[in-house]
Amino acid sequence: MGNSIQEGQELSFLDKVKASFRNQSTLLVVTLVILAVIFQIASEGIFLSVGTLGTVLNDWGSYILLAVAQTFVVITGGIDLSVGSTVSLSSVVAGWVLVKGMGLDTSISGDAALPYVLIATLVCLLVGLAVGALNAFLINVLKIVPFIATLATMGAMAGMAIIISGGMPLQGPNDFNLGIAYNVFGVELPISSTILTVLIITVIAGLYLHKTRFGLYTYSLGSNPFATRAAGISPARHITKVYMLSGGLAGLAGAYAYIRLGAGSPSNGAGMELYAIAATVIGGVSLMGGVGRIVGVALGTLVLFTVQSGLLMVKVVEVSPSLKQVIVAILIAAAVAVQTLQKNGRK
Amino acid sequence: MNKRILSVGMAALAVAGLTLGATGCASTKKLTIAFVMGAESDPFFQAMKVGATAEAKAEGVDLIWQGDPSHYDVATQVPIVDNVIAQKPDGLVLIPTDPTGLQASSDKAVAAGIAVANVDTHTADTSKAIITITGDNADGGAKAADAIAGAIGYTAGKSYQVVVGLTSATATTNVGRYDGFKAQVKSKYPGIKIVDVAYSAANPQTANSNVNNWLTKYPNLSGIFAIDGTNASGAAAALQAKNLVGKIALVGYDAYPANVDLLKQGVFTALIAQDPAEEARLAIKTLVDYIKNGTKPSSHDVVIANVTLDKNTSDADFTKYTYVATN
Repeated sequence: MGNSIQEGQELSFLDKVKASFRNQSTLLVVTLVILAVIFQIASEGIFLSVGTLGTVLNDWGSYILLAVAQTFVVITGGIDLSVGSTVSLSSVVAGWVLVKGMGLDTSISGDAALPYVLIATLVCLLVGLAVGALNAFLINVLKIVPFIATLATMGAMAGMAIIISGGMPLQGPNDFNLGIAYNVFGVELPISSTILTVLIITVIAGLYLHKTRFGLYTYSLGSNPFATRAAGISPARHITKVYMLSGGLAGLAGAYAYIRLGAGSPSNGAGMELYAIAATVIGGVSLMGGVGRIVGVALGTLVLFTVQSGLLMVKVVEVSPSLKQVIVAILIAAAVAVQTLQKNGRK
Repeated sequence: MNKRILSVGMAALAVAGLTLGATGCASTKKLTIAFVMGAESDPFFQAMKVGATAEAKAEGVDLIWQGDPSHYDVATQVPIVDNVIAQKPDGLVLIPTDPTGLQASSDKAVAAGIAVANVDTHTADTSKAIITITGDNADGGAKAADAIAGAIGYTAGKSYQVVVGLTSATATTNVGRYDGFKAQVKSKYPGIKIVDVAYSAANPQTANSNVNNWLTKYPNLSGIFAIDGTNASGAAAALQAKNLVGKIALVGYDAYPANVDLLKQGVFTALIAQDPAEEARLAIKTLVDYIKNGTKPSSHDVVIANVTLDKNTSDADFTKYTYVATN
């Protein structure tokens, strides 16, 4: 008690802990570990299994491209509500091209379907880029604020997806092996070709945001658009690139959905934009613009889907599906509250 | 004088012409039937549109097809119905999104001299409607229980684990089917235990995750009841990706062409199908008969049963019940 030096050392240790907790990524990793322990106990030991982790990572794969897309857009101070509808539309167009355009069906499967899966992916990417270009046009030329511009395309693209598909899933050639867990020397790993591909795209996007001039412009546009303009950077041109990047990534998420389900369905992207935004915010991206890192977003997305799958695996108590929705909502709110408190603590 | 005769004659001719024209119009005047559904994006309503369009063509009537693009919501449906009434159609086929919320609109249509039919769902007071036609979701749920029991070779005294994929806790079709399923299981198959349910929130990828997690959580799972199209898509993909086709009974809902293909491949054990096109056809036919000839249908409340499609279904029935896309 009387030893002031010891007290000082303890404080500095606490300060260190506090400081590391102010780092969003550290906080998310700790959260993940705590959640894993809780779910492992509550599921009577089946949460940390290849099956469950495979599902968590599969969901991560479905959403991370949208969360990364959202990260670029939100850092510029904008928002892209059309990403979910772009998933629906791109997968539907891909299904249409294969089923109606080329007259193919589900009888083509396995390796034989690979060329067609690649065609589907290319179609999805092109559709996504087109939606992104449309968003940029609405924002730059018609001067509509991003929230409303992308709200409009969100509705229009969802409608287009229904018109093209007739409201029904279009099932075409698919190689389900792409989504199957790798088996290395008899050991099953919770990762598949599709998840690995998405991981690589995420890393490239992270490097692009954090290590290039393009990334620097993105941050500067969100933190100080006037200074950015004064520095000779055309905001309109950069916004076009960012929204097309967002659309393109959403298109690739559409291809992921097609491969995962073997079908282009107008509901493939239903509600995905909100989870993507939630994952982005949990990952530490500020909706005010100018702040955020891809590592945080990748971890934020993982936290979100760990909770989703974890709650379903709970065995010790009965968690009704409605209660699950409430718990997920509370966790999202808590994540954002912690973030705000951290920021206030820093000031 | 001549001039006067001429002008009188001209006037007489004009009047005669007008009268002739008017009668000519009346004899060829096409009836207009308006059809207001819940959410246009729903494949169920898309299939209904096929039946409605075909029947309208066969009867030689104009069809006004209106509904909210994606929301099954009383708030968006009321103004749509009001707008349709303002167009003064001869008949209105209404799929009310809420029994009480749409009562006033329905009464307004009847007061305006429009013949009203209810399809799929109905308003609280159907006394002024010419006919109400509904599909039987509870019956469909019971048929799904029979199909699962048949597929797993249900034997009394043994115990089986079954899960149910739902879209939400409140979707009316989900509730009807799930209640019918539970009741049938309880009364006829006490050995079947419904161990879990989960929501897809209308996204097949979420439905896919739910099924993947169930496969881990319940290694001895016997069957899955995928209660609608979204859950059917997600579950079918999960079983195909994990090579569990044929090992776990999968009963889905709605006969989309893609689902029927998967049924023929053995991915689905059975599909429960509704007949939305038939509901629409019957509604339009009944209204046209009533408007033209004043004949009321022999029965005011018609229930169109769901059917089970499985490997024993005939090709003719597959053709009859498979939903046809409108594009």
